Amino acid sequence: MTRLRYLLHEAVDNIKSNRTTTFVALATTTFTMLAMGVFLLVYLNVQEALGSLREEIKVIVYLRDVVSPQAVSRVRAEIGQDSAVAGIEYVSREQALATFRAQFPSEERLLSGLGDNPFPASLVIKVSPAYRSSEQVRALVQKLNALSETEEVLYSQDWIENLAVALRYLEVLGLGIGTVLAASMVTILANTIRLTLHARRDEIEIMKLIGATTAFIKTPFVLEGALLGGVGALCSLFLLRTLFGLAEAKLALRGTFWGIGRGLVFLPDRVTVAFLLLGIMLGCLGSVVSLFQLRGARS
Amino acid sequence: MIEFYHVSKAYSGWPALQDVSFKIGKGEFVFLTGPSGAGKTTLLRLIFRADAPDKGQILVNNRNLLHIRESEIPYLHRMIGFVFQDFRLLLKKTVFENVALALKVSGVPEGVLRVKVAETLGGVGLGHKLDAMPMTLSVGEQQRVCLARAIVNDPQILLADEPTGNLDADLSGEILELMKSVNARGTTVVLATHNRDLLRRWRRRVMRLEQGRVAEDGYPEA
Repeated sequence: MTRLRYLLHEAVDNIKSNRTTTFVALATTTFTMLAMGVFLLVYLNVQEALGSLREEIKVIVYLRDVVSPQAVSRVRAEIGQDSAVAGIEYVSREQALATFRAQFPSEERLLSGLGDNPFPASLVIKVSPAYRSSEQVRALVQKLNALSETEEVLYSQDWIENLAVALRYLEVLGLGIGTVLAASMVTILANTIRLTLHARRDEIEIMKLIGATTAFIKTPFVLEGALLGGVGALCSLFLLRTLFGLAEAKLALRGTFWGIGRGLVFLPDRVTVAFLLLGIMLGCLGSVVSLFQLRGARS
Repeated sequence: MIEFYHVSKAYSGWPALQDVSFKIGKGEFVFLTGPSGAGKTTLLRLIFRADAPDKGQILVNNRNLLHIRESEIPYLHRMIGFVFQDFRLLLKKTVFENVALALKVSGVPEGVLRVKVAETLGGVGLGHKLDAMPMTLSVGEQQRVCLARAIVNDPQILLADEPTGNLDADLSGEILELMKSVNARGTTVVLATHNRDLLRRWRRRVMRLEQGRVAEDGYPEA
């Protein structure tokens, strides 16, 4: 207990004795971790949005104007037998017109120029979860296109897949940026610890002479790194939460643009803890690097 | 306790010790003397395993220092107290903290540590200066703090490298008295000095080095 208290006290003492450097290191750590946090937050939200979009993959079959109600029923029954289809909703021409009017009341004058109801009747098909791959959806679309009652088939699969590909690029990019940021944070912390080591080199020498083990000498420096990394991560989490609150409020004001406003999520608890641990770990790594270099320089 | 067998050590080709052999028994008090550059500090550093010999064998408490692992050196240092001519005190720590550090590195509990440090500092006449900073002390007092730090964990061996080098005759006498009392408790003491007055004050075994060799080893005649 005496020893632990001493080691912690020494770590805090190191920080106190090097205030300016520590402040710079802490600020840099905070902003580096904040950049990582922002990226993580964007990634998590895109992933979240993609997940909910995937759940709503729909294929819309626009029917020819001449199709009779009996033909609609027959087509509906025929499509309904396909195992890729989870549900079918019939939208009549009148319903389509009413929906347009409800969603875009300011565009009413567009309709006046078009005379009669320009909207076709359609069948909105919900795709079963097991049939949501690009190939499977394309096969279903091909089948629907072949029907004589079909005017046009539209589906959202392609851009969702493109978004998924973009997300994968985002993952790689994030990993790259994260690695660079982590490396710079380790370097900055290593330099801070190196300065402390330099300032206390006589003390270290004396400690060796009175029988201090390597672990006893080095632990305060590793703790100092962990403390800087941990506090930096904590500060960045605080800033991230503030920025998130501002972004959330801004999006709420602009309405549910692309449905993002509804689903904006902050880092889950386990990710927050992992983020904090990452800061501590990178701090320790910074210390270990400087201690390793010190050893290398002496041998 | 301390055994040297044909030990040689050179620094950058310059021979500091040449074919040195001797034995120092448990509880002995030995003055190590000789002119500057004779090899006194090198000999102490070898006992302390701050350096390794180029040739020969060194045994301390029956342990061959040639075969001691790097990780075992701190434990050897806890067995050997070292008093430096330049004190080597931590200037940002109090007198108490300086001495306590020697016990903290060994993991001595706080309660025991407080008693032991206070007792030891009282023993060297600094019981009233526990919270003083080293820079506020006189040279003699700083050397006594250094001595207290070296003996606080009851080492089996006490090495002192010119401990009176910066002190006047009276203060040198005080330090010698303290060394004598440490020796009286059974600690083996090796005191490197070129202060002839000390040798006259207390007639003990004198090992005189010259150009890295043992030129004389024995008790001075009365």
